[in-house]
Amino acid sequence: MNCRQARALFGPYWDDELTQAEREWLEAHFGSCAGCRRDYEELTRSLEWMSELPRAEVTPGFADRVLAQARRRTPATDRVPGASPRWIPVTAAAALLAVLGGMVLQWGTGVQLVHHSAGTTLDQPVAIQPEPVHGTKQAPVSGLVAGATEIPDSLFDHADDVEFILDPVTLRKGRAHTVVRGPTETPRTEQAVITF
Amino acid sequence: MQTLVLEHDPTPVPIVRLSDEDLMGRVAEGEERAFTEIVRRYQGRVTNLVSRVLNDREASEDLAQEVFVRVFVHRRNYRRGSKFSTWLFTIAANLAKNEIRRRVRRKNWFSLDALQEMLGDSTIHLADPTEGKEQSLQREQLQQAVGRAIAAVPEKYRLALVLRDIEGFAYEEIGVMLSIPGGTVRSRINRARGILKRKLTPLLRREGVS
Repeated sequence: MNCRQARALFGPYWDDELTQAEREWLEAHFGSCAGCRRDYEELTRSLEWMSELPRAEVTPGFADRVLAQARRRTPATDRVPGASPRWIPVTAAAALLAVLGGMVLQWGTGVQLVHHSAGTTLDQPVAIQPEPVHGTKQAPVSGLVAGATEIPDSLFDHADDVEFILDPVTLRKGRAHTVVRGPTETPRTEQAVITF
Repeated sequence: MQTLVLEHDPTPVPIVRLSDEDLMGRVAEGEERAFTEIVRRYQGRVTNLVSRVLNDREASEDLAQEVFVRVFVHRRNYRRGSKFSTWLFTIAANLAKNEIRRRVRRKNWFSLDALQEMLGDSTIHLADPTEGKEQSLQREQLQQAVGRAIAAVPEKYRLALVLRDIEGFAYEEIGVMLSIPGGTVRSRINRARGILKRKLTPLLRREGVS
């Protein structure tokens, strides 16, 4: 090895990353080469000077200033602890369960609730029996179209209630699924009816 | 009938005993106390890094402040499981690099020639070490000269040099921080050390190192 090869080992020697054989060779080279020895001493002294430089210190109150600046740079909504609050999905699930519970209760009574009212007087809802379904298509829509002019313009007259039939849903692992039932079951067991 | 008693320690772990990574988990949820603890732990090292890279102590605190503000603003970008200090110093290195380039663009920074001139001046004006007088002033002048010598190392070598030989990071960490391979880190640091030594050679010889 020559001086050029020796100088290439200065860095790893300083970092203590040489193999035993390399170390022994380099130290032997230092013993016989004053130039390389001097160069290495200058290198190590330079690095020592650098590491001995006084460390920069922050002025008192630095952390408070950083925090104040961070607050200014952060949107207010983003500063709320727990920016993805857990109460949102929990509340949503609870609300959905409440709606489902209401639907099941109505379905369990087997009746439809109709607001039977006239004029501005509000009456208690009256339970009426649903009309049997005969498997044939009913014609409430055509009836509505045909008798459109006969529909009273009143907020409280629900004589021609429109029925919205919703498929029941159930919660499974936090997701809503439509309940699929067998064809033998009656429509009443698989549908919830909301009338308004 | 057996009774199983589960012991539960209700005492929370003091925030000063939490790891950096656990603290960052809390910072990500917006806990400001955890963030303040992070700042307290690293404010010295970050400021020192920036100060040495820029050779500007007055500006270093402002830049260090910006480093921590970005940590907070981008706190959710920190990936749990990765070493926090590496992430932090990646931000610091990038901001320092940007600041150097901004200063160069604005020509509000020392040119290499000017630095060499200043370095030469400082070595000339150093007191004779054999006199043994005004040692604190001499030490201060030496520190200034070393600081300017570091600043005279080209930017892409300088950051690696400071991260390694002042802040003591491992080569692999520096590679992550600077987004360069480990071999490139080693070659940059070797180059930087050689440049630093050449800059300080007049001073070293005057000091009678060799």
